[in-house]
Amino acid sequence: MLNTYIEKYRKNNFQFILIDNSGRVLETNNPILPIKLNNKLQNIHPFFEILNGLLPIKNECFEFSCTNLDFKKKIFIVDITIRTQNNNENLIIIEDLTKHYKNYQLTAQARNESIINSQILELKNEYLLEKETFKNNFIANFSHQLRNPITASIIFSDLLIDSDLNAEQKNYLDIIQSSNKDLKNRIEDILDISKIESGKLILIEKVFNLKKMLHTITAAFKFLIEKKDLVFNFEIDNNLPEYIKGDQYRLKQIITNILNNAIANTNTGFIKLKIDLNYVRAKKANICIQITDTGRGIDTDHLDSIFDRFIKIESETISNKGIGLGLAIVKYLVTEMQGNIKVESEINQGSKFICNLGFKISDYNQIKKKELLNNQLPHLDKKKHILLVEDSGLIQLTILKTLAATGQFYLNIVSKGEELVPNIINKDVDLILLSNTIQNFSAVHLASTVRNLPKKYKKTPIIVLSTKAYKEDLKRFKQNGINYVITKPFDKSKLLQILHKQLK
Amino acid sequence: MIVSKKIVLIGHFGVGKTSLIRRFVEDTFSEGYKVTIGVHISKKTVIISEDQLISLIIWDLEGQDDIKKTRPTYLLGTNAFIYAFDLSRPVTFENLKSEIHFLKKNYPNTPLKVVGNKMDLVNKEYLKQYNSIFNCLVDYFVSAKTGSRVESLFYKLAIELI
Ligand SMILES: Nc1nc2c(ncn2[C@@H]2O[C@H](COP(=O)(O)OP(=O)(O)OP(=O)(O)O)[C@@H](O)[C@H]2O)c(=O)[nH]1
Ligand SMILES: [Mg+2]
Repeated sequence: MLNTYIEKYRKNNFQFILIDNSGRVLETNNPILPIKLNNKLQNIHPFFEILNGLLPIKNECFEFSCTNLDFKKKIFIVDITIRTQNNNENLIIIEDLTKHYKNYQLTAQARNESIINSQILELKNEYLLEKETFKNNFIANFSHQLRNPITASIIFSDLLIDSDLNAEQKNYLDIIQSSNKDLKNRIEDILDISKIESGKLILIEKVFNLKKMLHTITAAFKFLIEKKDLVFNFEIDNNLPEYIKGDQYRLKQIITNILNNAIANTNTGFIKLKIDLNYVRAKKANICIQITDTGRGIDTDHLDSIFDRFIKIESETISNKGIGLGLAIVKYLVTEMQGNIKVESEINQGSKFICNLGFKISDYNQIKKKELLNNQLPHLDKKKHILLVEDSGLIQLTILKTLAATGQFYLNIVSKGEELVPNIINKDVDLILLSNTIQNFSAVHLASTVRNLPKKYKKTPIIVLSTKAYKEDLKRFKQNGINYVITKPFDKSKLLQILHKQLK
Repeated sequence: MIVSKKIVLIGHFGVGKTSLIRRFVEDTFSEGYKVTIGVHISKKTVIISEDQLISLIIWDLEGQDDIKKTRPTYLLGTNAFIYAFDLSRPVTFENLKSEIHFLKKNYPNTPLKVVGNKMDLVNKEYLKQYNSIFNCLVDYFVSAKTGSRVESLFYKLAIELI
């Protein structure tokens, strides 16, 4: 009974083939591959060439699963069993599992594709990162290299101003100085962006006088804005705290960058700076900076992207001021300070930047005392001996001129790292100025050499003139006995101020 | 008389084993990727000289990220191996050394050619960074897409097999 059902319903997916020792077909049922008697299996499909090697091995069983056999444009995916015997009759069993394996193929397809895609993505990412790092390093190095010549240019034109010049010459010098400043600012911007992108821009928070800072800004910008025949309005809330804790340099940068942007984009009308106290809560002041202009304005399509790097609206028509980095830096700094910034604008009417920032308020009296002390340039009891280690002739000359002008210093210059120690031991040295671009010697190495000399030299202040000013570097400098780092480009008053402070 | 020899292609999935065989056997190439499962066998007869023909029975195996996972019966009676990897995807040649070692240990007398495929996707600069791997291990840099060096790979192997 059962057998008839089995006969009727058994899937016809097995083919049995009997072959002799040469592969000739003796008998077969034909549900899968149409095979003729007396043909050699080897001639039917190249798979069966394997028989030449297997048939001589008697009484064995070989199983080949998932074998793709293409037969007259049709593909069968089958499991093949080969049973060899020693009676010149060998059995081949073919089980057709095409449907089953096709499902398996779909799964494998999806799996492999997704793995390969994610690998390719990873590679692309890696490649992009490499490119990005290369670009950032390139920008940083290039900008550092520009710092020496600019420093010299700034200092020498500062020195020129004090000499006898006629009106025309003064005029030229004005232009040189303003170009110097421009160039310096652009390099600072590019460096800032590369620092931002490599995660090296870090805020340095200190207590400072907010009102005083704002006063300096308004004074400087009044001059700049009025020079362009624009009106400068400023309103500074009297309730603002005097002393706050934050990164003064960066706050100033936020305000000046937006103001510079306003100047660059406004040809008639006014620019207004308004700073208000939003509220004071738990000894924290929240302030609102608003900068309004009557410039070209920004259309709504561009509003979202003006804080992006290198984006500049209608760049052809803009007088070539700034390269569009200023606002990107602003956005980053505001975000780092946990504040917010937005812009409202109407084309040909003007723009308004609104920025809110929070700062800790500091104790007024304590700071005041400290500041009083700090602001007095310490009196030097006698002419001091400065040892300068610098191999750039330009910087040597720059410093020589600056110090000579005061009549308060003797300057001894050496250009090679090796000459440092003999000069310290054989001559009077009150302070060492050390360049960090000396051939073969890092400033850190030289400083620690000095600190390892006899005790007498342990206290001699060491100031490093550096083109780099990353936080890691600063830390390393301090650890190696360096008292202060001046970053290039510097100006003459900054240099003198620091010398005085260190020699006190 | 025609001798026939079994050549097995192995390597990670997607490195272009099937493509290399199609380039050699049919001289075609397709950008699409269809995953091979199990094994697929094709045949091509190569004329070595006027009186010397050789039939290459080429076994195209399902790609594996580890050669030890290969079904052993597939490798029975192999006369030569071609181990292929994808030059543009380092994962496919990260373990090249140990994969080759495995083959050399288990099939010491079977010729083996190690080929980096998809040469068209990479440049010299890129190849340089993997010099230490490629210099001593790789026999051929080929491209199934452009056909570069594919014919020569199989042809030279055929001559070796006589
Ligand atoms: N650019 C380029 N692409 C190639 C080359 N060879 C193969 N490919 C592509 O790579 C993908 C995978 O090729 P296959 O030949 O199917 O790879 P496989 O090694 O047989 O993969 P599995 O069967 O999964 O083991 C396909 O999209 C091919 O078009 C080549 O030389 N150059
Ligand atoms: Mg394949």
